[in-house]
Amino acid sequence: MIDILLGILRAVLFVVIAYVVVFVAALVNIYFERRAMAFIGDRLGPNRTGPQGVLQSVADAFKMMGKEDFRPLAADPVLFTLAPVTVMIGAVAIQLVLPYTDGLLATDLNVGIIFLVAISSFTTLAILMGGWASRNKYSLVGALRAAAQMISYEIPMLLALLIVAMIVGSLRLDHVVAFQAHYEWIGFYAPFTFLMFYIASIAELNRGPFDLPESETELVAGYSTEYSGMRFGMFFLNEYAGLTIMSMVAVTLFFGGWMGPWNGAVSLWGVDLVGVFWFVLKSYVLVFLLVWVRFSIPRLQADQLMGFAWKILIPLGLANTLATAAIILWVPSWKWGLLVFGWVSFFAFVGLFDPLLKRRLRRERERRPVVSA
Amino acid sequence: MYDHFETPEPDEAVKLALRRIEESTARGEGSDVAGLEFNEVVVNMGPQHPSTHGVLRLVVTLDGELVKDVIPVIGYLHRCKEKIAERRTYFQYIPILDRTEYVAGINCEWAYVLAVEKLAGIRPTRRAEFIRVITAELMRIASHLVAVGTFTADLSPLGTAMVFYMFRDREDVLDLMEELTGARMMFNYFRFGGVRYDLPDGWVEKCRDFVRTFPAKIREYEALVDDNAIFLQRTQGKGVITQQDVVDYGITGPNARASGIPLDLRRTRPYSVYPELDFDVCVEHHGDVFDRYRVRIREMRESLKIIEQCLDMLPRGPVQVGSLRAPYVITPPPGSCYVGQENPRGEFGTYIESDGSRYPYRLKYRDPCFCNLQLFPKLLSGNKIADAVAISGSIDLVLGGIDR
Amino acid sequence: MPVTVGSNPRGMDALAALLAERFAGELTDVRVQEPDTVVVRCAPEKLKDAAARLKADPEVGYETLNWIAGVDQRTGIEAVYHVYSWKTNTWLQIHVDLSREQPEVDTVSDVWPAADWHEREAWDMVGIRFLGHPDLRRILLRDDFVGHPLRKDYVDLAENHPHV
Repeated sequence: MIDILLGILRAVLFVVIAYVVVFVAALVNIYFERRAMAFIGDRLGPNRTGPQGVLQSVADAFKMMGKEDFRPLAADPVLFTLAPVTVMIGAVAIQLVLPYTDGLLATDLNVGIIFLVAISSFTTLAILMGGWASRNKYSLVGALRAAAQMISYEIPMLLALLIVAMIVGSLRLDHVVAFQAHYEWIGFYAPFTFLMFYIASIAELNRGPFDLPESETELVAGYSTEYSGMRFGMFFLNEYAGLTIMSMVAVTLFFGGWMGPWNGAVSLWGVDLVGVFWFVLKSYVLVFLLVWVRFSIPRLQADQLMGFAWKILIPLGLANTLATAAIILWVPSWKWGLLVFGWVSFFAFVGLFDPLLKRRLRRERERRPVVSA
Repeated sequence: MYDHFETPEPDEAVKLALRRIEESTARGEGSDVAGLEFNEVVVNMGPQHPSTHGVLRLVVTLDGELVKDVIPVIGYLHRCKEKIAERRTYFQYIPILDRTEYVAGINCEWAYVLAVEKLAGIRPTRRAEFIRVITAELMRIASHLVAVGTFTADLSPLGTAMVFYMFRDREDVLDLMEELTGARMMFNYFRFGGVRYDLPDGWVEKCRDFVRTFPAKIREYEALVDDNAIFLQRTQGKGVITQQDVVDYGITGPNARASGIPLDLRRTRPYSVYPELDFDVCVEHHGDVFDRYRVRIREMRESLKIIEQCLDMLPRGPVQVGSLRAPYVITPPPGSCYVGQENPRGEFGTYIESDGSRYPYRLKYRDPCFCNLQLFPKLLSGNKIADAVAISGSIDLVLGGIDR
Repeated sequence: MPVTVGSNPRGMDALAALLAERFAGELTDVRVQEPDTVVVRCAPEKLKDAAARLKADPEVGYETLNWIAGVDQRTGIEAVYHVYSWKTNTWLQIHVDLSREQPEVDTVSDVWPAADWHEREAWDMVGIRFLGHPDLRRILLRDDFVGHPLRKDYVDLAENHPHV
């Protein structure tokens, strides 16, 4: 009896933590991004509301909550309300399998890695719902394009996760973190895999150079045009919360999760607080990287985006998976084999991709005729 | 609350777009989907829009994502400058010219001052000529910074810090101009026969500092943008202006030079002291968006060369004709003349007809952006909407000149 | 053939003489305005032919239209055309006199495509009607504006200020 009650209490506690993390992370990320964007652009960013402007996101949230909530008459009543609610499910549910630290893991699902990919498609579903329910031709087109982008980039993400699972030998995320003790981070063994996962996650989040679905607001509607006030706020917060959530996933899989020096030094009811600190720190390094990338590169066009996923990332991902599997199976000291292969493939990709692309562009340009009357 | 909503009556431009859709449907080019009468939708990129630079309204006929037709609607910034000219003395009119192509107003002032000086037979002093060239080239740099900055911002609206870097460097130019003329954008500096103020103490050194430090900034911009594969893919081969277009529509300036035509009024119809200065005409040969961007970047370097030469060659002497201040009221003899000047956007000129009185009889502007905008329907059709935004950003429009 | 900016080695007077001789039927009062403009007058009914011939001339093809202005000379309305010749790098300024009661002239937008908007502006501001223009509407002013502002007898009407 007590067990059942304790179990329910524990479940409620983890759900509350998940929601708190999502909302706090969203607010922090909005502020962080605006400050980082300003820093990159030689400006100041919000620095008035609250000390150093930290209350800016809170002010924005209040503003959004205070807006009029209306629904277009033609919009589908059920789906229009359901879409903003559904969009948060992905961000919250993913946290249920993420180990924040030693002893703070909601559930040790034995298919944790697959759960990650499965749940992240809730966001896609919500976007499609939102675009359809708006009864606006251009919202629908924007939503379809966003969904196509997200589905295409789930495949490289899945391939990267597959490699992680192969290396660790288990689909459970606490096993993945435990494997990475003593600084044997998977990110060091498979840097190209991390790169693939990272690029795919930028596209999943509709961020950075892959934000064509959002920028459709240049002329035609993005999927969230008909939404205003807190309905839009949910889409907006989910996008920023996703930054943190996706970084947390990447840190868990590739950078040792909560592992770090002085683990276990400060412990509260079996929960390792130093681990939480390292987890958050590493996640925010990756968040900063995401923000940096967003403001450094121009946006990719729709055909470049899809072409990059299907023609480059997926074939390379498949080759990477095959090679990793071969190394694990047949090379006796497979960890060293992975290390060598990982870094060689990483530098090959980074070093060769740009020159090859430029060479193709240059050849195309030379073939194009010079302008004459 | 919102049950009663009236669709406004479509105005002339939208009616024209709808008429054209009907005509093309009647010709059999309507929809290719069974059950749909026609595919096309008329959308308004209204006067307030983040991507059209200024209050330009584009009535776009879209087929899905493809732009079929564009009808530009202008006149939202019309300030009747040509009519105002008929009631102001020649001297009183000078400040109004700054507001024409406000991004580089000093060039507009120069066009007017050249025309009036030609009519009235006034020759400016030599020192003033050099100062005029320096200020015009400084504002050319500032104008190109704005043009390239907003263009890269169009490619990814919220992002690239390029816009802010360029505006930060434009501040240096505006600081120099403020110290010289007292204003950052609306200078009111040129006079008939010279300029209003002489260079303050230390200004030449500050200008030389700017000329010395700016090339590094240009290299920084090039490093950020030129080598970027995404940027190259989005700009190369798009929005090609052929040489026939340039001839047909009277395109001038960087837009024409990017298509391989070495049309630069500073060389083909020299004015002021440009014959004595050594600079290259920047020409590129593909005529696409990328080349227009490259021409502007290269022109910034050429402008720096010009400024440096002028600073070296700056003679002593008065900056205004006559020992005292330039005349406030001049009455040019009856006649008419047109002088075109190389504005950062093309050929900007004023046609002045004088009847011997204190006021101009007729003042007509030849605005480069007005002529460039005519090319829009031809240039944007057949492109996707995202490309259309990039192309329109690369043409560098300033509505102040288009609408006057 | 790629377009380049030519030159005029013979000089402006020789050019003016050539124009006077070759276009004697259409252009009158050929004068030179230093440094590089030839100013001529043309009758409205001859303008279109003159335009086509000027553009097609192999030696001094005036291929680009720079601007068209409408001027209200109190005795009549004048249309000023300013065209550019790439081959000689000179300009030609054509003045066409129209009557005040019926300021009409043939459009040249099929000869010089750039004329489209310039003629619309001349219609808008001065009221010159260009016959055969594909789409002669107001360009800078509101569609329902009454009057032509750059006329000397223009009076600001109350209909044009509904918001005041």
